[in-house]
This record gives sequence, structure tokens and C-alpha cells, in this order.
Amino acid sequence: MTRIRTLLLTLLVATSMTPDFTAAQEVSEQRIVSGLGKLVGAAPLIDIAILRQEAIDSGGVAMASLPNWGKIAKLPQMVVEIDFENDSVMIKPESYRSLGLIADALHHPNLWAYKFLIVGHSSSTGSDKHNLELSEKRAVAIGEILSTTFAVGPERLYAVGVGEYFPIDGTKGDAASNRRVQLVNLGIFTAP
Amino acid sequence: MKTRRTIAATLLIGLALTGATRAETLSYADAVTNLAQDCGADIKKFCHGLNLGNGRIADCLQKNAAKISPVCVGTITTVLTSISQREQAQAAYVGVCKHDIAQLCSSVKGDGYRLACLIKAERRVGKACNQAITDAGWR
Repeated sequence: MTRIRTLLLTLLVATSMTPDFTAAQEVSEQRIVSGLGKLVGAAPLIDIAILRQEAIDSGGVAMASLPNWGKIAKLPQMVVEIDFENDSVMIKPESYRSLGLIADALHHPNLWAYKFLIVGHSSSTGSDKHNLELSEKRAVAIGEILSTTFAVGPERLYAVGVGEYFPIDGTKGDAASNRRVQLVNLGIFTAP
Repeated sequence: MKTRRTIAATLLIGLALTGATRAETLSYADAVTNLAQDCGADIKKFCHGLNLGNGRIADCLQKNAAKISPVCVGTITTVLTSISQREQAQAAYVGVCKHDIAQLCSSVKGDGYRLACLIKAERRVGKACNQAITDAGWR
């Protein structure tokens, strides 16, 4: 049985390789807007299936050293904590505010033209397959909440789960900080 | 419950038409913080396993309206209303501020920088546009 209670929404700032998890607790709309807004250059094309498979096949290699994830790792990102019910996609009401802050940020003119990738992670407690599925369901749930309740255009949001395949450097796989979700700025949204 | 939301929406459209310069709107964050505070216990009790997405929490709370706390019943309506108000205020911004942008910030490229330009030029920006920026929660 997995005990994935917390997902951290990792919106890592710019190209910083060491996410500031101590600062993850207190997040403001302002921080999300400025942290995610620092996109320079064109963003890569995204294929969710390729990213998911690359994560599964990564064999413990760091995200930044993989061909496709390496490009993602260089994009503007940040950290917000979201608490889920144990082994469930249900977000605890205590974390509604964090979702609202993200929504406020995505509705700001500084960010409203950008696409975002929601990446669900898990700790290594429980089976690989279960963790992969749960992390994906949670990433999708966040996308659904943002695009329905908070009216963020669904065409701006992508979601993928990568389970326990990318533990944060220097932590044990079962560390709580590995239960996180990353939000990555994918670049300017252009209508198809 | 669907009807209730439709009524709320109808009311909102009315509000938007009659008063583009209404008082403050709530941020999404503050709106759902109120929901979590006033309805958190009821959500955990009656809506276990459900999420905010696709109106599931609002529907669940409304379905259980007889059992949930009166404070929560009131809050659901307020939250739904304030979320749509914020949405409409933000949608109105581009149209309402078009003239001010053309006059004061035409050389500025990018929506974010244009907004920053309007905020800086607050004293010279028209009342309606200033109000739209405030209602959108961008000040």
C-alpha cells in the first residue's frame, strides 16, 4: 500500500538545479507569476507518451540528463505543496488555496499566453506501476481542476505521471519530498 | 443543483451588464480558501474521494444540502459567484482597456508589460480601465 499523501507542485525557478524545498511551503501568486514567467527562447514540443516512456526506461538516471526530460528541466518551474488523501486523487481541502494561487497566476497577463506541463511524482513506497498510475491520475486531476473550476484553457495544460522514477537528488526514494507535482512553463501557446 | 448554478450565472450576467464598476472581486485563492474553511469538514465527511474539478464538490455539497452546515451552504453560493465575477472581470479587461492601451502604452509589447504600463500610468488611465484592472485582481 502506498502512502503518498503529499505531492509537491514543483515549479522550479528558471534553470536552478537544486529546488528550494524549504521555501515550498509559503507560496504566493506573485512568486508563481515571476517564477514561471522567466522563459527565454523557444520551448520544446511535447509528446506526453514519449516523456512517460522515457521516465519508465530511465533506470535511475537524473531527469536533466535524459534527451527529452533534459529540455523540460531547463524551463521555468517552481514548487508548491499539494496534499492528497492517502492513495487517492482527492486533494485535501487544506490545499485548495494552493490550487487557487496557481489558477490566479495562470490567469495573470504575464502568464496567460503560456502552456504548462503538470508532472506528477511519487515516493518509492509501493509498487512502480501503482506509483506511476497514481502520480498520473493526480497530475490529470490538477489539470482538470484548473481547466474546469478555475477556467484555465484546457489547451494550455498537459499532464503526465512519472511515479518514483525521478527522485530529487540527494534524497532517499521514499522521502516525502519526492511526492510532488512539477508545473513547467512550456512556452507560448499558439492556437492550432 | 444545476438550476442553482444557472441562476447564479444568470444573476452574474445581470450584474456584469448593470455594473462593470462593482466593488471588489475575490481571487480564486481566497474564494477556495473560504470554501475549504467553511466546508472542509463537510467535504471530508460527505464528498470523500471527490475533487473540485467539473463542479463535483459543489454538486456533492448541494446534493447533501440538508446535512451540511448552514455556513457552508451560504459559502458555496458566494464562492461560485465570486469565481465567475473574477472570470468576467478578467475577460472584460482587454476590451475595456483597449483605448487606454492605445493611448498610453501602444509602444509596449506583450500583455504582461502592457498591464504593468497601465498600472504605472494609473492616474492617467480611465476610470473604467482602472476598475477593470482592480476587479481582475491584477493590482
